[in-house]
Amino acid sequence: MSPRRSAQPSLLMQVMAGITVLFLLAPLVVVIGGSFTTTDYVTFPPHGFTLRWYAALAAKGDFIRSFADSLLLAAACAMVATPLGTLAALALHRDAGRGREWLRNFLLAPLLLPTIVTAVALLQFYQRAGFDQIFLGLLIGHVLVTTPYVVRSVGAGLAGMDPAIVEAAQSLGAAEGRILLRVLLPGLVPALLASVIFVFIMSFDETTLSLFLSGPDMMPLPVRIYNYIEFAIDPMVASVSTVLILFAYLLVILLEKLVGLDRAFGGGV
Amino acid sequence: MSPRLAVSGGRGRLILFMAPVMLVYLLFLVLPTAQMLRMSLDRFSSLTLFAPDLTLASYTGLFRDSFYVSLFGHTLLLGLLVTLAASLLGYPLAVIVARGPARWRGLLMAIVLSPLLINLVVRSYAWLVLLGDHGVLNQWLTGLGVIDRPLALTGNMLGVVIALTHIGLPLMVLSLASVMGGIDERLLEAAESLGASRARRFWKVFFPMALPGLGSGSLLVFCLTVSAFITPQLLGGGRVQTVAGVVYQKFTLSLNWPVGSALVFLLLVLNLGLMTLHGRVFRH
Repeated sequence: MSPRRSAQPSLLMQVMAGITVLFLLAPLVVVIGGSFTTTDYVTFPPHGFTLRWYAALAAKGDFIRSFADSLLLAAACAMVATPLGTLAALALHRDAGRGREWLRNFLLAPLLLPTIVTAVALLQFYQRAGFDQIFLGLLIGHVLVTTPYVVRSVGAGLAGMDPAIVEAAQSLGAAEGRILLRVLLPGLVPALLASVIFVFIMSFDETTLSLFLSGPDMMPLPVRIYNYIEFAIDPMVASVSTVLILFAYLLVILLEKLVGLDRAFGGGV
Repeated sequence: MSPRLAVSGGRGRLILFMAPVMLVYLLFLVLPTAQMLRMSLDRFSSLTLFAPDLTLASYTGLFRDSFYVSLFGHTLLLGLLVTLAASLLGYPLAVIVARGPARWRGLLMAIVLSPLLINLVVRSYAWLVLLGDHGVLNQWLTGLGVIDRPLALTGNMLGVVIALTHIGLPLMVLSLASVMGGIDERLLEAAESLGASRARRFWKVFFPMALPGLGSGSLLVFCLTVSAFITPQLLGGGRVQTVAGVVYQKFTLSLNWPVGSALVFLLLVLNLGLMTLHGRVFRH
């Protein structure tokens, strides 16, 4: 079926949209291409082809350590935020009262707050309390800003379930705890899986919070790169950027293959 | 019986399930934020970071100091410029995504979404590489003989606007496309059969109906821009000051916590105010 002429975008629209597509892709293409250049600065198209900037990256111990820190932080964040948000989503689903909307909005609030507000609030809170566990401090911050996604994703998963299944279990005499474990949770597996991967991606990507809350001994990768490019923008940064870009795409492809992107983003909510 | 009750177990289980998340939120979000807002009413002290007090000195200081007044002016201007640029660039693409040939839709959506996956620092670095004094664009232009000396595309407002527009664009396109996709095709066909020209159909039918998308997209981009500090810091090379950037300095370098807190509070009020206003305007 081809759309009617009346709804078809004009040639001018198509040209302008093409310009926007170029604008969106240009920085990504230049960074990925530039990471293979033989020159000491990034050029595009790259001069020749070399992997020396990737070798330089592999030899940089602090970058590798930061990569490991980021992985650990993101994994821990997924392990904490997913159960927290899931329990909250189950409670919200159960409670049909007027308090429900209010509670839900409260739980989603970190999405509305500019991250810098949460970051500064936590920074001064930790310092005044004399709290100096950098990893734990970062983890708490990351959990705060990712839990809302779990509440939304699992909430959508619960809303999409057929209530008749639960009713059937009830009429067969299953106890509450049994319904939760044997009926609801198995049905929620896709939503839980999506939450884990999505929270991992968000935490790995989070920069503002980390910039305020990290220290020299515990520095997630985005903060390490930020500190580095304040002084130098050599092609080694292009190589670490390329690695990060590929890593993000891999995770999203994994998400799509395992559960489907529609589901991961809370059914288009 | 409502199916919701099926997950019951009474009030007790509800509270049990809600307790952990509430505890985390109250202790690490509500309490620290309240503490910070309270601190904006304290006095600055060079020895103890802040001295307990109950004064509006930090706020009145901000409004009296021309540095802070122009800081807010610049930040709001930045927000407006980026919102405008993202609207102009995003609108045509959203039209194609929502109403163009179906076979392009998947690919275009992937292109629109892909920058969202890439870290802010990486994207800012990419723009530094493209726009820097010895960057790719200046290399090309000098190579072609168009310019003698490099154009100053970073270390100023222009570079910051370009990079922030790239960051806001996906959100703008998504907001626009979701509203445009819901516009009833038959309205456009009706306008055509009544003899309306293409331009008239666009401006009198399509554009007004897509306005809510433009509104929510603009709100998102504006709020994101006025609270941003990583991109302005990197692309501005320290020469473009934004409210969020100064907040970072107040808390990490100059350590004036009461003034920093007052700035955060104003930023928060600006964001929440705009969201409330937006809710009012587009509810109907």
